[in-house]
Amino acid sequence: MKYLAFALLFSTSLMAASPEVVQYMNELSKTAKAENSSFSGFDAARGKEIFTSTHTGKQGKPMACTSCHTTNLANAGKNSLTGKVIDPLSPRANPQRLTSTKEVTKWLKRNFMDVYAREGSAQEKGDVLTYIMKN
Amino acid sequence: MTKIVNLSIAALLLAGGVYLYADDDEHEEHEHKRSAVAKPMTPQEKSTAALYTKECGACHFAYQPEFLPKSSWDKTMKTLDSHFGTDATLDPQDHKTIQNYLASHASRYDRMTGMGGAIAIRISETPNFKHEHREIPKKMVTQADVKSFANCAACHTKAASGSYREREVRIPNYGSWE
Repeated sequence: MKYLAFALLFSTSLMAASPEVVQYMNELSKTAKAENSSFSGFDAARGKEIFTSTHTGKQGKPMACTSCHTTNLANAGKNSLTGKVIDPLSPRANPQRLTSTKEVTKWLKRNFMDVYAREGSAQEKGDVLTYIMKN
Repeated sequence: MTKIVNLSIAALLLAGGVYLYADDDEHEEHEHKRSAVAKPMTPQEKSTAALYTKECGACHFAYQPEFLPKSSWDKTMKTLDSHFGTDATLDPQDHKTIQNYLASHASRYDRMTGMGGAIAIRISETPNFKHEHREIPKKMVTQADVKSFANCAACHTKAASGSYREREVRIPNYGSWE
């Protein structure tokens, strides 16, 4: 168990997220497992699909995460409604990203609603965070 | 001496003495008068104002609360889950802090006379706003660099500091407004 915790710490230290966000992802992981017994860890490829696919959003119009964040997470995006510049999502390009659980949970809730017109599941949230970390 | 002057200017700026509607033309509304000798903000007030700017300014220009009365802000804060088509919900503590901030800084004037009892949630639907912007051709507002009247700072170069003087206006791709 100790080794597992250590391995988890080590693997997440290679990823770009603060300890509190890593902790949050561990909680998401537990929830995902409880909701789906075949869950075997978050997956950046599934996260990419969530992030780049188009859905009928809250406004009843086609919408994707990339509508505002663009497909290159290292670049700044633009709010599609107001035109306001959005700082890059990639933690490598923008070290402020994935440092606060409060910010992460706020935006995941809001943006799943905007794009999917529903909240994301624990697995979906973890997948999308994993994708963001690796970009 | 220069230092003292600089410091007092800084203090005045920090005091948040907003000069709303301080136009070049003589104007009916003089809300700025009551803040002419505003007290400097306490650290608490500063952090509240910073929270407002951070949270609301994340997606759009952080409009000075003085532009709308309390009833408008209350309506906006009650409907953040569907805020102009997006989910803008806040955590309960921040929601409360921002709601109180808006209520205490809201316009003391009824800015909605002539709206048939409707409660405005867009500043741009208030009669005063419409009057002030009545001569602006639509194409200047709808162009990509402005998008809509919601984007105050696109043309009002000092909007972020609460100053909306006509001589500070620079309309993208058109220039000054004279």
